[in-house]
Formats: sequence, C-alpha cells, structure tokens
Amino acid sequence: MTTTPMELVCPAGTPATLRAAVQAGADAVYCGFRDETNARNFPGLNFSRDELAEGVRFAHDHGSKVLVAINTFARVGDVDIWKKAADAAAESGADAIIAADFAVLDHVAKNHKQIRLHLSVQAAAATPEAIGFYAAHFGIRRVVLPRVLSLQEIAALNRAIDVETEAFVFGGLCVMIEGRCYLSSYATGKSPNLNGVCSPPEMVSYEEGPSGTTARLSDFTIDRYGRGQPVGYPTLCKGKFKAGGKTSHLFEDPVSLNAGGMIAGLKAAGVTALKIEGRQRGKGYVSEVVRAFRKAVDAVEVGGDAVDIDRLLASQSEGARQTAGAYEKKWR
Amino acid sequence: MQPQNAEPMLPGFVRHLFPTVAGLPLGPLLTLSLRSLASRRPGLFERLGESGSACFGIDPVDLAFAFCVVPDGQRSSVRVVGKDGTAGSDVVIRGPLLALLGLLDGTLDGDALFFSRVISISGRTEAVLALRNTIEDAELRPADLLGLRGILAGCVDRGVLSALSIARRLADNNNPSGAQKA
Repeated sequence: MTTTPMELVCPAGTPATLRAAVQAGADAVYCGFRDETNARNFPGLNFSRDELAEGVRFAHDHGSKVLVAINTFARVGDVDIWKKAADAAAESGADAIIAADFAVLDHVAKNHKQIRLHLSVQAAAATPEAIGFYAAHFGIRRVVLPRVLSLQEIAALNRAIDVETEAFVFGGLCVMIEGRCYLSSYATGKSPNLNGVCSPPEMVSYEEGPSGTTARLSDFTIDRYGRGQPVGYPTLCKGKFKAGGKTSHLFEDPVSLNAGGMIAGLKAAGVTALKIEGRQRGKGYVSEVVRAFRKAVDAVEVGGDAVDIDRLLASQSEGARQTAGAYEKKWR
Repeated sequence: MQPQNAEPMLPGFVRHLFPTVAGLPLGPLLTLSLRSLASRRPGLFERLGESGSACFGIDPVDLAFAFCVVPDGQRSSVRVVGKDGTAGSDVVIRGPLLALLGLLDGTLDGDALFFSRVISISGRTEAVLALRNTIEDAELRPADLLGLRGILAGCVDRGVLSALSIARRLADNNNPSGAQKA
C-alpha cells in the first residue's frame, strides 16, 4: 500500500470548470487545447494558449497541479501541430503532459525535460513490458490505466513496474482497447483517435417519434428510448443492436463507472492517483463529483470508511445507472 | 426529444403572470442585452465558433411562448415567438424555465438534465454543445445580462438569485411527488 496520499485528478473542459474543480478540492486538473491534439475535441470546449497559462497560475496559487492532455495520435505530415501544443503546455508552466503518441512522447522527452510525462490511457498500456518500454524510452513517470483491469490485476501490475499508476474512478466507460477503437471510424469516417471525439456531434441526431426518441450516429441507429426512459451518450459502443435474433446492448450498457466504494482497494493495490472522467461535463457535475470524491478520499486516507457516494452521484450518471466496471469483473 | 422527467415547473400563479410579460417588447430588450454583453465580453462569443450564426429555439415548457436566439456577437438577436415558432430553428432546446435558467447560471449540469430527460434537444447537436460549453464558461450573472456594474450589479444579482431560489422552493412544493432532480 502506498503511504503518500492519493492524488485526486479532475476534469476541466473550460477555464470556469478548472476553477470549479480546484475550488472543490482537486489535487490536479487535466485539460487540453481547443484543437485535435486532445481526445475531447468538442465544439466550444477546451483552452486557448492564454487560457491555459492563466489556468495554471490559478491552480498553482491554490495548491493544485495542471496536467495537459495532448493525447490523440499525430497525423503524418502534421506532427508539428502536436509538437507545438506540447511546447505551449511546457511554456505555460503546467506540471505534466499526458500523451500516447510516440512522436509527442519523444518530442517532450527530448525538449522539455522539466515537465513530467504521463502515459495516456489512449496508449492502452496494461502490461509491465509495455509500460517498461515507455518508461525506458521516454521517461514516463505515470501511466493512466485502461479501464479493463481488475483490482487484482492492478495490484500485480504495480508490483512489477517502477512508475506511478492512475486509475479512473468515475464517469464514462470505455470497454474497447483505448486508442485502437475503430467503431466510430467505421460509422462516420472520422477516427476518434485522430480527431478527438467518438461521435462527431455534427453526425449525431435525435429524432422524435410517436413511441419515443431515436438516437442516430451518421446513418446508424444507436438506440430508441421510450418516453421517460433515461438516455445515454450517443456512442456506438453503448448502442442497442439486434444480433442472433436478440436485441441488446452488444458492447456496453449505457452506465457510468463509479468506483467510489473501491478507493481503499485501489490504494491497497498501489494506485497513486484517482481520475474522474468528464471534460465534456459542466461546472455543476465537476463541483458535485469532485466534492464527493474529495470527502471519500480524505476519509479513506485517515483509515475511515468511504462515504456513500453512489447515492450522492446517481443523478450525474449516464443512463442514471452506475457500475464498478472491470474492477470487480464478475463476468470472469 | 421531449422532456419527460420533471424538474419542478413554475408555480401556477407565476405562469399566469408571464403572458402579460410576453406582450412587452421582451425580444428587443433581450437583443439589446445580448449585443451589449458582446461589446463588453467579445471573447465570450468566440467559443461558439461557426455555431454563433445558428438559430437556437429555446422553449420553456411551462411558459406560453418561446424564444429564437441568434448569439452572433454584435449581430445577436432574440425574438419572442409562439410555441410553433421554433420549428425553423437550427436547434430546439425544451425544458422547464427553472431548469433552463439553472443551465444559464451554471447551477445545473446540462448532461445530467439530458440523461434524465428533464430537458430535450433536437437539431444540430454540435451547435447545442457549443452553446452549452460557451454558457458554462461564461459564468453569467443577472447583472451581466443587464449591463450593470458595481454596487447596483451586486444588488441586482442578489435580488434575482434570491427570487430564483424562492421560485425553485415554491416549484418544489408545487411538485411534492418529486420530480426527479438532475
């Protein structure tokens, strides 16, 4: 078990949300630039260079860190966009760059030795060999773990590696091999790993019909919702499809991860930092979720029981349902 | 998508007051207010990008009228329209007035209201997202919309926010079966 307190890493899609996360008790916030270099490239979201510098000043003044996600994969011929983003992040005084692409990792390792490198979940590194490779070649200090590992697997991994681990504890789930998902590339012609969004919003539509609502991505129907039924994000991996004569959520249910009850277990497994997903979410979500997790983490750190954050955060969850995800892996 | 689960609706007597307000030049006043905001905080509208020229139909389901808003900086416009008047909009956002105001002042989370179907959206999803994210970052106070500063702004903010808080409490009492709050 680690003796240092676990770090609570929180999302910030806008400067206002960064301030909200810091004020709610975030040890660190993660954010990205307003372009395709980060994996939450939604309209109206993210930071300009000046906004990042101002955000870093605000966070540091309040004792919080800023981690900058430059975590999509660089395109052939356009690598400079990613390199310049890394330069700007380093110039802003940010505490770490979160990256997955070899070109970005290499650029930061060679040119910005003062800034920490965190390996993005987009790299899907889940073995000691893979993580060891990134540590040996680029000097990564932390790996963000894919959301497919059980607690036991994380504990075993931590015993075999020399870098910190960061685990998701709340928010949207990705059950694919992150960074290598081609579902929406197939449906929309745009890769989430290059453009930064799983469902390009210009290709999402909701249509009202007599029996409810139909959600579509491009020409694909994702799901139909009856009146009053909770809805989820319009991503193909959470869609309902017919296969083998049965209609079901083939890939993943529209539920949110909530590992609030497993904080002590994650600490015992050697996890350094707990990550809350949701850079696309607003200040209301960030404030509420960060405050609840701050309370829970603090309780665990002094040897108490985690507070009942499942109940506190039910309304913030996709589809109004929650799961402990792979951490429990009951299907095995 | 129609709103299904209820964020508390306005109390009946408040709803009955609003049709008289609709008769006032509400559209031109809101247009002036938005253009004045654009001149004071031009950066705010940059987040909208191309969506700034889109027409947003805002339909408070507990009022008898709706709004068509084009948040295009100094060329912004707001029109008060009938319930069918939002049909030609690029985007329509529907929900109880208090929920829509909660989105505007950042006290409520748009995704949570959407998941639980308190609000509904139709039309260009990218424009909705851009508007939502712009409003989130703007941290608007009532005085910002009225172009007020200093002590007067503080008084107006306190007054309007207290009134909203009272309206929410009244609405909660009006919906004792508990409408699912997002």
